[in-house]
This record gives sequence, C-alpha cells and structure tokens, in this order.
Amino acid sequence: MNRGIARGGALSFRHAGKIYDPEGARVVALDDVNFEIAAGEFCVVVGPSGCGKTTLLNAIAGFDQITSGEIRMDGALLTSPGKPLLPGADRMVVFQQGALFPWKTVLWNVTCGPIQQGKLSKKEANEQATHLLARVGLTSIENQYPGELSGGMKRRVEIVRALMNDPKVLLLDEPFRALDALTKSVVQEYLLELYDLTPKTVFFITHDIEEAVFLADKVVVMTTRPGRILKILDVGIGRPRDYRILTSQEFMRLEGEVRESIHDEARKAFEAGEREMAT
Amino acid sequence: MAQLIATAPTAIGDTAAVRVPWSVKMRRLLRSPRPYLALLGIAAFFLAWYLLVDVLKFWRFRELPGFVASIREWISPNPVYGVSLFTAEYYSHMGASVYRVFIAFVCATALGIPIGILMGWRRVFYGLTFPILELLRPIPILAWIPLAIILLPGRELPIIGLTFLAAFFVTILNTLLGVQSIDPVYFRAAKSLGFKQSAILFHVIVPGALPYIFVGLQIAMGACWFSLVASEIVSGQAGLGYKVWEAYYYVQFETMVIVMATLGILGYISSAFVRMLGNRLMQWRANMLAGVQ
Amino acid sequence: MTASSSVAATVATREAPVRRSRFSRWLASWWSLNLLLGAMSIGTLGLLWEFAQPLGIPGVKEVPPPSEVVRISADLLGSRLYWEGWMLSVQRITLGFLAAQIVGIPLGLMMAMHRNAFDTIFPIIEILRPIPPVAWIPVAIIFWPTREMSVVFIVFLGAFWIVLLNTIGGAANVDPNYKRAALSLGSNQRDLFWRIIFPATVPSIITGMAVGMGIAWEMVVAAEMIAGRTGLGYLLWQSFEINAIAQVVVCMISIGIAGYLSSEIIRQLGGFAAPWRRTH
Repeated sequence: MNRGIARGGALSFRHAGKIYDPEGARVVALDDVNFEIAAGEFCVVVGPSGCGKTTLLNAIAGFDQITSGEIRMDGALLTSPGKPLLPGADRMVVFQQGALFPWKTVLWNVTCGPIQQGKLSKKEANEQATHLLARVGLTSIENQYPGELSGGMKRRVEIVRALMNDPKVLLLDEPFRALDALTKSVVQEYLLELYDLTPKTVFFITHDIEEAVFLADKVVVMTTRPGRILKILDVGIGRPRDYRILTSQEFMRLEGEVRESIHDEARKAFEAGEREMAT
Repeated sequence: MAQLIATAPTAIGDTAAVRVPWSVKMRRLLRSPRPYLALLGIAAFFLAWYLLVDVLKFWRFRELPGFVASIREWISPNPVYGVSLFTAEYYSHMGASVYRVFIAFVCATALGIPIGILMGWRRVFYGLTFPILELLRPIPILAWIPLAIILLPGRELPIIGLTFLAAFFVTILNTLLGVQSIDPVYFRAAKSLGFKQSAILFHVIVPGALPYIFVGLQIAMGACWFSLVASEIVSGQAGLGYKVWEAYYYVQFETMVIVMATLGILGYISSAFVRMLGNRLMQWRANMLAGVQ
Repeated sequence: MTASSSVAATVATREAPVRRSRFSRWLASWWSLNLLLGAMSIGTLGLLWEFAQPLGIPGVKEVPPPSEVVRISADLLGSRLYWEGWMLSVQRITLGFLAAQIVGIPLGLMMAMHRNAFDTIFPIIEILRPIPPVAWIPVAIIFWPTREMSVVFIVFLGAFWIVLLNTIGGAANVDPNYKRAALSLGSNQRDLFWRIIFPATVPSIITGMAVGMGIAWEMVVAAEMIAGRTGLGYLLWQSFEINAIAQVVVCMISIGIAGYLSSEIIRQLGGFAAPWRRTH
C-alpha cells in the first residue's frame, strides 16, 4: 500500500456497552465491545438489524453515550460514562437518509463546516470544494439545490462535505442503502478513490455483505441484540480496488466467511421480529 | 394542513430533476381544457345569480340585489348610494380597513414568528408559554371584543388589537409546528459541522421552518380579514366591514354587494402577496417542485 | 428500539453522572418539566390578574378578578338562560357543521376524482372563498326567512371552505400505488372509490372537520353577536351592553371550553373512523 499516512484517528473500544433505560425496560444495545481500529484503516461493521452498529456509530459521533466501558482515540480517552461526548467535526458523519440542507446550495452545504468553524476563508473553501466535487465526477452543480440532484449525486456531495472538514474519523451510516445497485457500485468506487487519496480512519456500517468486503480493510461482524462482536476479519486485498475483484477467489472466500457467520444471526434477528430503524 | 414539505422526487433510475421552462408550461395550459372550464364555472355562477335574482325573481332571491344593478352601481361615476369605483368614500373605507390589517398583520408576524421559533427551540420557553397559548386559543376572537374595548383605549386600537390577536395565534402555532417539523438529523449534522447556536438558528431553524411559517401567514391573513370585518361591524365607524353593515341597514343592497366583492378581492390579493413572497424566499422549494413534472 | 426512545435515552444519559436520585430524574423528564413550568406561568398570570387592582396594572384592573368571575359563574351556571344559550349555540353549530360536511365532502371527492369537475368548480370557489363569512351576514339575513337559518348559514359557510379544501387535498394525495395495486387486483371503478380512495381520504376529512369545528365556533359567536337574538354569543354581547363584565368573562371561557370539547370529540371519533392511523 503506497498511500499517504493518516494523521491520527485510531479508535479503541474497551468493554464498551450501552443499556437503554437501565431502571425500566433494560434494553442492552451493546454488550462488552472490544476492538481496535488503526489510524487510517477502513473498518466496516456488518450485522443484522438491532445489532447495535448504529449505536456504536452514534457513540463515536457524540449523538449517544455509552453506559459502560470507554472509547479512546489516539490513546486519549474520547468518551466514557463519566465523560459525555459532543459531536464535532473531527468525527464527521455521512447520514443514512441524507442530511444536506435542502434550503442551501450544494456549494454552501459543502463549505459550511470549515467556514462556520473559521478554519478556511470563503474563497479557499470554495476552491477546495469545487476541486473535490470534480474528483467525484460532479461539476457545475455548485449552485443547484439538493432537491434537484439525484440520489447518487447527493450521496457524493455529502461525502465531500464530510471530507471538507478534514475529520480524523469519517463515519458513514449505511450511506448507500437507498441507491440502486448500479449507482451504488459507482459511488463506492468514488469513495475508495477519495480514500486512497487522503487516507482517514473510516467507520462504515452496512448490512450489505458484498459492500463490506469490497470496501474494508477490516470487517467486524456483530450479533443481534444484545450487540456483541462475533468475528473480526482482515481483508488482505490490495488497493486500489475496482469492481473486478468482486469475482476474484480471495474476495469470494472472504465474503463466504462473513456470510456464514452472519446468517444465523440474521435469522435470529428476523424471528425476534426486529423492526428496522430506518424505513 | 398536512403535506407541506414535499419529498424529493424518487427517481426510477438515478436521474436529476429537469426544469421545465415557463413558456412551455404556458402553452400546455392554453391547449388544455382548464382555462376554458374555469371561465365556464365562473360564468355559470354569475349567470345563476342573474337568472335567479334579476330575471326569475324566484322565492327569496327576489330580495337580493340584482347582478346587473350591482355591477352598474360599481362602475358608475355617479352611483345612487355614493359608493363606486369613482367615489372617494369607497377608497377611504378601503384605506381604513387595509391600514388596520396591515398594521395588525405586521405586528403579529414580527412578534409571532420569533415567539414561535423560541418555543420550538428552547424547551423551557415552550413549557412556560404553551399552556397559556392553549388556554387562550380556543376562545373565539370575537368573544374578545368586550375585553378589547375595555383594555385598549380609543376606537382604532381595539379593532387592530383583535385583528392582531387572530393572526398572532395562528402565526405562533404554525411557526412552532414548522420548527418541530425539522428533521432532527439536520440538527445533528449542524452540530457535527461545528455550527454555533446562532448559526443553527439562522441556517437550520429559520429556513427549515419557513414553509410552515408561510402557510401560517396565509392563514393568518385570512384570519385578519375575518376579525377585521367582524370587529368593524360591531364597533367601527369606518372601514369595509362597517360599510357592509351600514349598507344593509340603510337598504343599499347594491353597495353591500360591492363591498363584499371588494373584501374578496383584497383578501385574495393579500394572501397571494404573502404566497409569492414565500415562493421568493424559498427558491429551493420552487426549483425542486418545478422539476417534478 | 424506536427512534424516540433512543433520543430520550440520549437526553437522560447525557445529563447524568452515573447516579441520580429518582426525583431529579423525574424532574428532568419532559412531562414533569412542562407541568411545572406551565403551572408556574399560569399561576403567575392568574395572580397578576387577581391583584391587578391593588397593583395598579393599567387596563387589567378594569376587568373583574378571577375570584369574582368564579362567583358570577356559580350564579350563571344556575340560570336557565345560560344553559338555553348553550343549547341553542350547540344546535346551530351542529346544523351548520353537518350541512358543511354533507355538501362539502361529496363535492370535494367528486372534484378530486374528476379533473374536469375540479377545473370548472375550483376557480369560482377560489374567488368566493376570500370573502369573509361575516361579510355574508347581511346577505344571509336578507335571503333566509328566519334569523336562525341565517346564523346556521354563516356557520355552514365558514366550515364549508375548510372541509372542501381538506377533502380535495386528501383525495388528491392518495398514493397512486394504492390505486395501481387495486386495479391490478381487479377492482372496478366503484370499488376503487369506495374501498381505496374514500378510506384513504378519511384522515384528511377528519382534520378538516377538527379545524372546521373551530371555525364554526368563531362563526356562531360572530353571527349571534351581530344577527342573533339568543345563544352564547348573544349572551356575551348582552352582558357587555349591561356592563356585567364578569359575566362576559364567564361567557368567553364557556365558549372556549365548548369549542375545545367539540374539537376533541371530533378527534376521538376520528380515531375510531380511521383506526389504522393509531400507532402504538
């Protein structure tokens, strides 16, 4: 791998746990989660619905707090039950249903982070934004509104918006779920291109096994509620990757391994009548 | 009043929205039966009026002012009862009413929108103000007339006050609904992006609530005219509401019709103005909806 | 795990160091805070009103304080005139409201189903609608043989516009996929209407009814004050004319309660009419 070195963003989960409503219904969302993500590593968490992967993402992002254990970033304590965490641009999120402000232009959306934080001037931000947008195949849409864009375009814009903040960790919450298969594979490739360019720690959650193995350096398989780590796989396939590896032997072997461990969990989740969080 | 934030077009295949030019839309409209049917409906109404009242004088309809007589009175330079497009009295009444509605509406907007936003944004403020709002809101506006006359000095202020009150409640409620309707994910995104509180207010809350706010403003405008006319009838000395009643009282029925029609026109223009203002401010919605053809 | 409980959990845990007393947790919950704040603000205003005279608050001191209002209401609740007024107002509301539904719902459905009907009728409706129903009062008095019918007509007019618009809106927004599913399952036009479009429109109709009911109360008060000779609105105005302001306040509160109750009833009935809308 001859990419640049990521500046920080190593994540470490130690006995992380999340229990909702401890005095009442006592729903155990996460149970004793332990694993590490190296700086600049692309980590994908797969699991059936209700396995707590979104809870984990929210904990890193700061939208939710863990009730036991701790999460560390680059060795320093990020959050623990005694240390609530606020959302920040160093852990930027790409949301599942899309969170581009529909009342602002694409350019405003993409540049608002650095401008609001005072990190870049308007001119600098605009230049950088235009450049990044071009890299994902979007040109001259800067003055359009998100409502005028297609699904694939919106996802790319949102990824660019996240990257403009130069986060240490990029969090993606099932970002390509609503895209059709063809658009999905194209946008995945754009994502990998950007990743190869400026490696960051990526925390990506999905239920799509093929997507997981295609994108990841490390695949973390979780069980259904209560969410525990079932298995951690290292994906040794080299980068840059393109769609052709989807039919390679190594890929199919890894995918089969993940699928086998997940299958039973998926059935359990189904029979437990888990309702999907997103519709 | 649901369905205010149109969802983005779900594309079959990943295509962006295409904007249809205005000239094409105009041509399509003229080729469709729509404008002609509209004229048909409108003509049918006036024809029915004419037939029932002027010609057939059927049952109670003979008591009503005639269609032809009313029109003639309206456009006559020397009207029988002194009110027509050419008389000063017509415009002085109009001016009085418009002036009152304008002041009341502007005040209701200037106070109601910030309060509504604050209620949606800050939980403590909501807890303090919502119960009072919900207690006062069910009381019909006109039931406040006695109190308005007692509490507010003069003759103008009670009328303006009542008109204000009607619009005020509606504006607050719709603004509140607007703020509450904003998908929480936008707040999360804003926080992750490092927005300060003021940035969240200006770039998320206000634009996000704007569609609901403008629907509320249109309703508020209608409420303004309603309470204005009612309070003018009850306690006014000038204005279109007062004139309608006076015309009835002095059996000047054609004038009555003229004033009613004027009220309708003014009401329509004021609502349309608010709606157009909303469309201007919310370019993003216009563009999005324009593409869905 | 629903989204709302996860948000609630977020709030609870974010504000908590690990241990908290039960009382402070209850205090932090949504409902209790609202209750407390509400009680505080209403209580404060009530006190200011009660002691407006000694405190010298301009304007409000002319209004009888709550204690006197309560005393007067005891008298009023015993009087026959008051309850007769209730009955008459409610009667007018019911008649006008029902008439608005009977005319408005079928018309709205027809307009939503047939494009040509819509294109013909809607423009003239949009022209007539901005005329405030109160401005129609003189015409109503002239046209209808009795005052009673005029008042009911005004109530009808006020509710009619709302019912019509909400019905059209609801019927027009029926998800086309429902219609397609029905057609592919072999439904004919009549079934399509009665089993798909009409039920799907019911929630909008209910909303129109609830809003229309509120408007109906505004109309009945206006019409009674201006053109009526009986009813709660008329009673209110009479009380004002004889300077019995405490009575005015009681009437205001009564009408407010009546309006609120009737809207609530509609909403509850709506829950029965459209049970699929209740989410658990």
